[in-house]
Amino acid sequence: MSQIVLLDNEAIQALGRPGHPKHRQVVAHAQVVAQRKRRAAEIQILAPTAVRVEAGWDRTAAAWVFMNRLRITDVPLGGVHADIAAAIRARTGVSVADAHIGSVIQVLAVDRVTIVTSDPEDMRRVAGSRRIEIVAI
Amino acid sequence: MHRYPCSVPHECGTLCRVKRSEVIERLNQLLDNVGPDTSNTSMRIPTALRDAAALAVKELEVAPSATALTAKALQATLEAIVMQAVLDDHYEHCPEARPSLGDLAVAAAELDGNPMAAEPDRLRRAAVEIVARHPEASADDALLWAEARALRVG
Repeated sequence: MSQIVLLDNEAIQALGRPGHPKHRQVVAHAQVVAQRKRRAAEIQILAPTAVRVEAGWDRTAAAWVFMNRLRITDVPLGGVHADIAAAIRARTGVSVADAHIGSVIQVLAVDRVTIVTSDPEDMRRVAGSRRIEIVAI
Repeated sequence: MHRYPCSVPHECGTLCRVKRSEVIERLNQLLDNVGPDTSNTSMRIPTALRDAAALAVKELEVAPSATALTAKALQATLEAIVMQAVLDDHYEHCPEARPSLGDLAVAAAELDGNPMAAEPDRLRRAAVEIVARHPEASADDALLWAEARALRVG
């Protein structure tokens, strides 16, 4: 079974900043992903790049070194994602970053999609008919 | 303190920490640049493992080739090693960030949408129980144990 774990703006902030009140909680999710990878599970943490922009995650900045090393993969806002995200944004009125999350949910062919988010309602809206697991932080 | 399975050992002074940090950085760079370029290696693997990989590729179509299967498995293992090394370093610098096994069991349930996520107390109890007998238990071990306990209780 393949699984992706998507991080929204607050999840990125929480994971990247040790002083964030939800830091330990999101670290726990990263730790579980690491354990599962070690057991050969097909699991990845993804960060849509528009979400990175919203969260201020600059991979060249020293402040984000912990995040940069955690094997979190960027999903660029390329043409295909931009088209789908634009449609999602027009339909739901969510932010560009959330619409990008929606496009990732809808485009990637994986068995399970999990989103770590502080806004479960918006995530359900951008997911459309795709089944997702929500981790509310 | 619960020690995570597969933690990457380190006995460190400052110099060692710097070197370890550089190694992690370099590993990340290399893993980020895994592309189509290949190299012949003199790496030797057990014959039975090589034959098993060839058979799995031919009969189960799990990968385009035994080489692809081997490379994918190696990459996944290295990614897990790097992630754990980074997390271990983080826990050393920020001990308060280290989740307990109970926290991890809750996180595992949440990631899967497992209904046990709604019973964090039960998960935390199961984590305490299992780690007493199996100090290297993982989050998924604790989750499984909690589910088994829940079935027994009915």
